[in-house]
Amino acid sequence: MSDGIVLRNGLVFDPANGINGEKMDLCISDGRIVEKEGAGAKSIDLKGRIVLPGGVDLHSHIVGSKMSLARAISPDYHRLDPVPRTKSTRSGVGYTVPSSYVIGYRYSSMGYTTVIEPAMQALKALACWEELSNLSNLNTGLMPMFGNSMLTFHYVRDDDLNGLAGYLAWVLRAVGGFGVKAVNPGGTYAWAHRRNIRTLDMEVPDWEITPREITRMLCKAVELLGLPHTLHLHPNNLGCVGNIETTLVQLEALRDIRGHAGRKQIVHLPHMSFESLGMVDNGSPVWNDVQSGGCQLAEYYNKNEHFTVDLGQITMGPAMTMTADGPFQFSLYKMTRGKWASSTVDVELPGGGGIVPYEYRPSSPANSVQWAIALEFALSIDDLWRCAISTDSPNGGPFSKYPLVISWLMSKKQREAWIRRLHPLVLERSIISELDREWDLYEVAITTRAAPARILGFSMKGHLGIGADADIAILDSKTEDTDLSKKPNRIIRLFERTYQTYLGGQKVAQKGKVLTTPYGHVSTIHPVLDESDWNRMEKELEPLMNSWYSHSFCNYSVPERYRLPFERKSILDATAISL
Amino acid sequence: MICCIYPREGFSISSKKTVKNVPCVFCGCLCDDIALEVENNRIVKNINGCSLSKSKFLNHLEDRLLGPAVRINGILVEVSLEKAVAHAAEALTSARRPLIYGLSSTENDTHQEAYYLAELLGGVVDNTSSVCHGTSMIGSQESGDPLGSLAEVRHRADLVVYWGSNPQFAHPRHISRYIRQPGEYMQNPKKDRKIWVFDVRSTATSRIADEFFQIEPGTDLEVISVIRALVRGHEMDIDRVGGLAIEDLAKISEAMKSVRYGVFFYGLGLTQSKGQHRNVDAAIRLIQDLNSFTKWVMIPMRGHFNVAGANETSTWQTGYPFAVDYSRGYPRYQPGEYSAVDLIRRRETDVLLNVAADPVAHFPRDALEHLKRIPIINLDPKRNVTSLIAEVNIPTAIAGIECDGAAVRMDGLPLYLRKIVEPPEGIIPDRDVLKLIIARLRMVTKR
Repeated sequence: MSDGIVLRNGLVFDPANGINGEKMDLCISDGRIVEKEGAGAKSIDLKGRIVLPGGVDLHSHIVGSKMSLARAISPDYHRLDPVPRTKSTRSGVGYTVPSSYVIGYRYSSMGYTTVIEPAMQALKALACWEELSNLSNLNTGLMPMFGNSMLTFHYVRDDDLNGLAGYLAWVLRAVGGFGVKAVNPGGTYAWAHRRNIRTLDMEVPDWEITPREITRMLCKAVELLGLPHTLHLHPNNLGCVGNIETTLVQLEALRDIRGHAGRKQIVHLPHMSFESLGMVDNGSPVWNDVQSGGCQLAEYYNKNEHFTVDLGQITMGPAMTMTADGPFQFSLYKMTRGKWASSTVDVELPGGGGIVPYEYRPSSPANSVQWAIALEFALSIDDLWRCAISTDSPNGGPFSKYPLVISWLMSKKQREAWIRRLHPLVLERSIISELDREWDLYEVAITTRAAPARILGFSMKGHLGIGADADIAILDSKTEDTDLSKKPNRIIRLFERTYQTYLGGQKVAQKGKVLTTPYGHVSTIHPVLDESDWNRMEKELEPLMNSWYSHSFCNYSVPERYRLPFERKSILDATAISL
Repeated sequence: MICCIYPREGFSISSKKTVKNVPCVFCGCLCDDIALEVENNRIVKNINGCSLSKSKFLNHLEDRLLGPAVRINGILVEVSLEKAVAHAAEALTSARRPLIYGLSSTENDTHQEAYYLAELLGGVVDNTSSVCHGTSMIGSQESGDPLGSLAEVRHRADLVVYWGSNPQFAHPRHISRYIRQPGEYMQNPKKDRKIWVFDVRSTATSRIADEFFQIEPGTDLEVISVIRALVRGHEMDIDRVGGLAIEDLAKISEAMKSVRYGVFFYGLGLTQSKGQHRNVDAAIRLIQDLNSFTKWVMIPMRGHFNVAGANETSTWQTGYPFAVDYSRGYPRYQPGEYSAVDLIRRRETDVLLNVAADPVAHFPRDALEHLKRIPIINLDPKRNVTSLIAEVNIPTAIAGIECDGAAVRMDGLPLYLRKIVEPPEGIIPDRDVLKLIIARLRMVTKR
């Protein structure tokens, strides 16, 4: 490797190390941040530009069969945003569901270096790994879903926590997973019976278990294994007016579970804007009666430390909704009457998820109220270290709208300008116009870098301390860029295209142009169980899988050939737990 | 030319093995319970496979192209791989509108090389779905796609509809493996799971079905639209449509609304008969409407073992499932304009690179007239009709038998294909041939 690079005179914001806008130099060598510059290191004068750790997105749909299905049904969208090839990059399409290469390039030019795919169908993991070989410029991780799997239900029904933990461990290893995701636990399964489960204690058809039991046991199993990231939970009753009550009940149902090795957080609540829909007093669960539940969740959040959150901010304009929440997607389709795609997955997602193209319109009263929810929450919480910015891309809007989201959070002036364009119901059904708080750069650096990395359990990412991966975003700021809150368009420009983006110490983008296209790594967790426990799992899972799936047990795992070039395996010693 | 290659001398008798759970590389079912007995690098027995599977695996050494060949003065002359690649690259670089076609009978890595090559050339890349289920894609681009999966069908479906599809002939194990097998919530499928067939003639499948509805050719759109209207509660002011009485269609629509879990399998009888993508669009809308009453899903009966994979890889790289044109430096999609048959018919294509397909055997006559006039570079393991008129033949290893890779089942399940035996001497996978062409191309263009 070369003698490295020294980035001189940067204005560094590195919240994980308590650095808030200090002028300093950063030394890079062998893809890491190091203490001293090597002899002959290349020096780059940043002239006071803002330096941030590379962006970390913990919830963005970037690969998998739902992306393929969404892309396949949307040539009308792709045509609006063709992306030509350049000397260094491949061609593709953009808009709401970009093609694989374009996803990497766009994130890279925005200064993001790590993005987690939060909804992988474990059974179709092979395709995800193949797709990742066509997605450069990012470090990634894949979170398989377990919330509606018949195998999960099998262990929950038998009240066999250790068996469930063993099953999670086995799948994570087999498919190269990073964490455990659950979507509408039990509810999507019920969709195979053309039903949904909207409350925690309603029984799942065929199984005599409830979403409460499924959620609790998955949460306990994750903590038992000691996975670095907590259970990633898309709760029940999503997208239904008044569902903030269900969300609070579901969070409350997990509160007593003890975190692994004393950690306080045991569950992550993604895209909170979709599950914090309030309802006016004496209202009914119809869109006319919607109000923001952002404050209500913030109040609970400020009092309880057991969960982390990402925003799922609605960005106005075209979006592509895609979730493993089949019944929710169908109800959305019944409203839009446009396209509706869905796909069931053998054993692991019997009811099937869904895909509905959707456009959030500023003139819509409901969309306007939805817009306020996440902002209201973000501007009302005390502890930003448990909160990450997201649009649940592409559900609330594509990730390329992050700069706009940041401008709303940093500038009251920008919010006021947008409120004037929205339906006036937003003033009546939310308190967004009363909130004066404006995030500063340090707070943005927390919620786009430090906090998501910490929530994911990455020690080498989201910060610029010695030993961290040299994933760096340098904004093209000038010394006169102070008081950004008065200049929202400047905020957008700064975050839209970095001055430079570094991935693993390599300069990959400059002024919005992707220069090189190296592949990042795919983080996986490799739980190691005691040998007899592992044998127990193999012995149990083989006959179950062979009888339930339509393909053979031995063809379940993703072969090394697809993983080796990218995989960064974290060995997790779980031999101490006894199955 | 020798048509059949036998193993090289020197294999000891001890090289005898049985490989289990092999995915079959014939049709879109990708049955992965095949056991193969291999002796001296030759597959001698196929256990569990259907007749199609047996013929593919057991005859893998028959009819092979032996080595690279280039046509010189009208005669195919065997040349080195390097020469054949150089010739191919030369032809492709001098083309104004090259077309890469095929891809459905090979594995996913090959597709990725093909798209890269098409992008470098500014050419068009199309897969065989443009002459089979491409219309299903267009239908789903109009309306969406409520896709099912095969184990779920086995566990839950109590009504199975085959529309314009004859699995007993084209997907021989489809019914025995997924439909007649008991599932977790369907213990007695013979009694409790009904099979309905809609087709224009009696078929091997219709003869074993519980109900056969014979419709007049070319009336699929009308019949489906009427069923849909009846499902939605509209009254009809006609007595018959497509040869079926309205009372019968009313019973059909009522039954479809009252089942527990229905699945609609559809084949080329729907996608390539009069109406094409409109037929599929109507079927999708019918299934979507039925979901207001009960659970319904649909699955296309994909033909080639990896045509679904070709759509998927194309979609994630380009945004579009087939018929992709790179001539402007970015992918554009327009079936009818950039689809293979249409390009060739309009005589736009001036060089064809065929990968793992046989267009000369399957394309319409007026397309053939043009194909005879242009250079064809043919990458395929076997002697086929295309190889007979090709300018360059480069034989390749058979995916899933002689090289590994990934393929996608008709319901979207990806499966890893195995390398069972060594390819004949000197023969490499098509992905590697494409890589060589790309490398050669870059060398030429750099110069």
